[in-house]
Amino acid sequence: MSMDNLKISPALEKYMTKEYRDLVERGPYGKQKKVSEMGTFKEIIEEHPMCAGCAMTLFIRLTMIGLPNPEHTILVGTAGCGRLALSQTSIPFIYGNYGDTNAVASGLKRGLEMRFPEQPKDVVVMAGDGGLADIGFSTVLHSWFRKEKFTTIMLDNEVYGNTGGQESGMTQRGAILKMAPKGKKYEKMDMLGLAKTANVPYIVRMTVTNPTRVASVVRKAVLIAREIGPTFIQAYTSCNIEYAIPTPKVIDDAKSLEAERYGFQEFISDEAKAFLESIEPKKAKATKSTEA
Amino acid sequence: MYLVAHVDTSICSETACKLCTQFCPETNTILYDNDKKTAFVAVDRCKACEICVSICDTMAKHHAIKMIMISDLENPFEMSKAGFNPAKWKELPETVVLEKVAK
Ligand SMILES: Cc1ncc(C[n+]2csc(CCOP(=O)(O)OP(=O)(O)O)c2C)c(N)n1
Ligand code: SF4
Ligand code: SF4
Ligand code: SF4
Repeated sequence: MSMDNLKISPALEKYMTKEYRDLVERGPYGKQKKVSEMGTFKEIIEEHPMCAGCAMTLFIRLTMIGLPNPEHTILVGTAGCGRLALSQTSIPFIYGNYGDTNAVASGLKRGLEMRFPEQPKDVVVMAGDGGLADIGFSTVLHSWFRKEKFTTIMLDNEVYGNTGGQESGMTQRGAILKMAPKGKKYEKMDMLGLAKTANVPYIVRMTVTNPTRVASVVRKAVLIAREIGPTFIQAYTSCNIEYAIPTPKVIDDAKSLEAERYGFQEFISDEAKAFLESIEPKKAKATKSTEA
Repeated sequence: MYLVAHVDTSICSETACKLCTQFCPETNTILYDNDKKTAFVAVDRCKACEICVSICDTMAKHHAIKMIMISDLENPFEMSKAGFNPAKWKELPETVVLEKVAK
């Protein structure tokens, strides 16, 4: 949880794994890496057991590139597929109980602010649609209403992937799943609308089709959460297992969903926009409120 | 036996487009060698999803990646052995696709 903590004490160097030494020497620390540089530096995530070709895996990978200061970040997650990769990062990962992610993150962020008043520490919640829109729903909403300063990222695969295909609040109406054989009866929840109602200052809906944009949105969301208030990213991260998407077609699927009903949307409050402009004048200009 | 992604470095190095490196879901699996200007695969991390193949075929339109039986590759790059150290990549023996499949 700081560059000093990451570095290996010389006496222990020979006992550390190659992977860890590579990370300290050739990792992304100290300088914001670009998506176009992927493959030329050691990334924060190690090997993990998420399924082949999973869009959620790709989204998590890109998220780690976007983090402005991974060495000063804590991840909070819960049961669900994403934690399989999140727990293999060199970032402290708190495995919250299913349902309490945003309560844990609230306390954690407040504690960190007290303990490290001089050094911003970023808290990022990353969990599934089941974790955030169903079981964790009340803690998510309350953290937004209380204006807790951390980022919530929903890995929305529109199903409970990890437990074999139950419908979630974020599943589309009519979707037939293994454990929703008659098709879901109710509409997909409007989490973006709820975030707006709670006056969340930065809200984004996106997919994995544009890797640079994923990293840039994550960066903005984390920076805004430091100074202004809660931020929310809702990302379509298909489950190729439960929706039977052939893996070579995963990106095509994201593209077609993007065109159909999951277009890129970015809402930013005036205060958040002014803040971004004050720290990165050029970049913030590109941030227009867009409705797709 | 199982399939892994394999980059034809002679095609890839003509383009340096770096698209597959951004779309492979796995970390440090498609690597990019700035000296040789080519992508290449750490076969021990590849989960054979073929996302890179479709990216190179349809987005980059370079057709530089094919799925190949692991046993048909000589000297494939293995991250668990070599670690992540671009300065040492030039010392590694070149990966060769064995004759019987390289038609
Ligand atoms: C309180 C509680 N209830 C149920 C479970 C079982 N459980 C584990 S993962 C999961 C579903 C995860 O779905 P989602 O959050 O959408 O994530 P995904 O696996 O789809 O990424 C459930 C119900 C649990 N771990 N804890
Ligand atoms: S079950 Fe679905 S969401 Fe989970 S790792 Fe596999 S493909 Fe990804
Ligand atoms: S997409 Fe194809 S041409 Fe582009 S870097 Fe990858 S292998 Fe090379
Ligand atoms: S087949 Fe999948 S895992 Fe293997 S290199 Fe290509 S994109 Fe990565």
